[in-house]
Amino acid sequence: MSEFERLRIVAGYEFLKHFRRKRLYVILGLTLLAELAVLILVPVLGDGFPNNVMVMAALLSIGPSLATIGAIFFAGDAIAGEFENKTGFILFTNPVKRSTLVIGKYLACYAAVALLVILGYVIVVISLLAIYGTVPIETGGSFGLCLLYAGSVLSVTFFFSSISKGAMGATVITLVFIMVISGIIDGVLAMTGQPHWFMLSTNGDTIATIYGGYEAFMGGMGGFGDMPFELESPDIGLSVLSMSLYLALCFVASLFISNRRQLA
Amino acid sequence: MSEPIVIEKLTKYYNKFLALDNLSLKIPANENVGLLGPNGAGKSTTLKILCGLLRASSGTAYIDGVNVAEKPEKALARIGAIVETPEFYGFLTPEETLGYLGRLRGMGGDELKRRIKEVIKLVRLQDWSKVKIEKFSRGMKQRLGLAQTLLHDPPVLILDEPALGLDPRGVVEFREIIERAGKEKTIFFASHQLVEVTQICNQVAIIDHGRLLAYDSITALKKKYKSLESAYLELTEAPLE
Repeated sequence: MSEFERLRIVAGYEFLKHFRRKRLYVILGLTLLAELAVLILVPVLGDGFPNNVMVMAALLSIGPSLATIGAIFFAGDAIAGEFENKTGFILFTNPVKRSTLVIGKYLACYAAVALLVILGYVIVVISLLAIYGTVPIETGGSFGLCLLYAGSVLSVTFFFSSISKGAMGATVITLVFIMVISGIIDGVLAMTGQPHWFMLSTNGDTIATIYGGYEAFMGGMGGFGDMPFELESPDIGLSVLSMSLYLALCFVASLFISNRRQLA
Repeated sequence: MSEPIVIEKLTKYYNKFLALDNLSLKIPANENVGLLGPNGAGKSTTLKILCGLLRASSGTAYIDGVNVAEKPEKALARIGAIVETPEFYGFLTPEETLGYLGRLRGMGGDELKRRIKEVIKLVRLQDWSKVKIEKFSRGMKQRLGLAQTLLHDPPVLILDEPALGLDPRGVVEFREIIERAGKEKTIFFASHQLVEVTQICNQVAIIDHGRLLAYDSITALKKKYKSLESAYLELTEAPLE
């Protein structure tokens, strides 16, 4: 039996796990709620929908981004859970490489997140068609960036899951790292005029800024106001490079650590 | 190397704590060998190293001549194991779990379906075969654990306190299953229960503080110490220098 066949089996059963868990449906619900909130609040609180379809497309991109962050809840227990819940005592005594198990888990998590992202973009497309009768070409780019961002967030989560004793710890650390630490450092670097293309939070912003940068986005929403510093839109190419690095490096690190980790 | 399980000078440290101290053992084919020792003696550590879950600080463990540390997948293909209280994915049913594990071991099709039915019947989980494991008691998980060790009909069974959590009927049924399996398999079996070991095994290895204190047939130990219990108490009471 080839390792590829085993990989297919692991990924299949892991996907079944996500499919049967409530969290998939909770994150799906939150994604729908976020899109609905944008569709209701923007016209209610502003003067109807923005004139520019790009601005509305950028606003609606929050749904898929949320789904991506939700991925942390899928992947937090991917590796740590096998040790914490002791399911590894059964799984790891089978003649399967640890790397096959980890890659299979990653692929299943990615498939579940991609499903949410796709659903999010289906809502974006339907909403834009219903409101403006058109969908900007940049939506395809935004979709691609969102999928790449999902992969990098998953890799970071897998990394923390491989070094954490418990699933909850891995989930919290990843959330804090991406939402708080990365955000703070990103903000400081931006304010001081330093490069910040390598920060994951900056990379995530490209999902929306691809529609014309911060200026077009904020302009469509009534302008920047009195900003104490100049806000530069992230470079898409550098962000793609950065996300690819997070995806590859964190995943390879999680593979290495998982292979070395002992089940005492 | 004709013995299916060979342990050579295994030493294992957990930080500064010495769990195994130069332990060597050879388990002959088709023998049922009990591994006895008090809590913390190193029984589980030994079995975990054999199952590739832990790395030895030094020394080597072989399954059918395959070095477990170097080629774990090849070594693990020959064994069925229960280590500690088995835990399974709660979102799967026993049938699905055995399907997953069987497929990982290269089984499939009608053969796998037939084998799943057989082992589920063997451990008396027929009425629960389609119920999610999240609803299972500890004893039921233990039964499923036994089912997964026998699923692929391995020549070597490595069992760590496999009757833990079973009710009295479960313990008796479990012994019968293992006794039957033990006629054609090699069983290496860690337990605190001397009665259980006497019923299933013909040889025992007694360890304490990670060191081998005795390794002989139960008959020989009974002859020397009057009973297995006396042998166990006498050998494990002496403080090590």
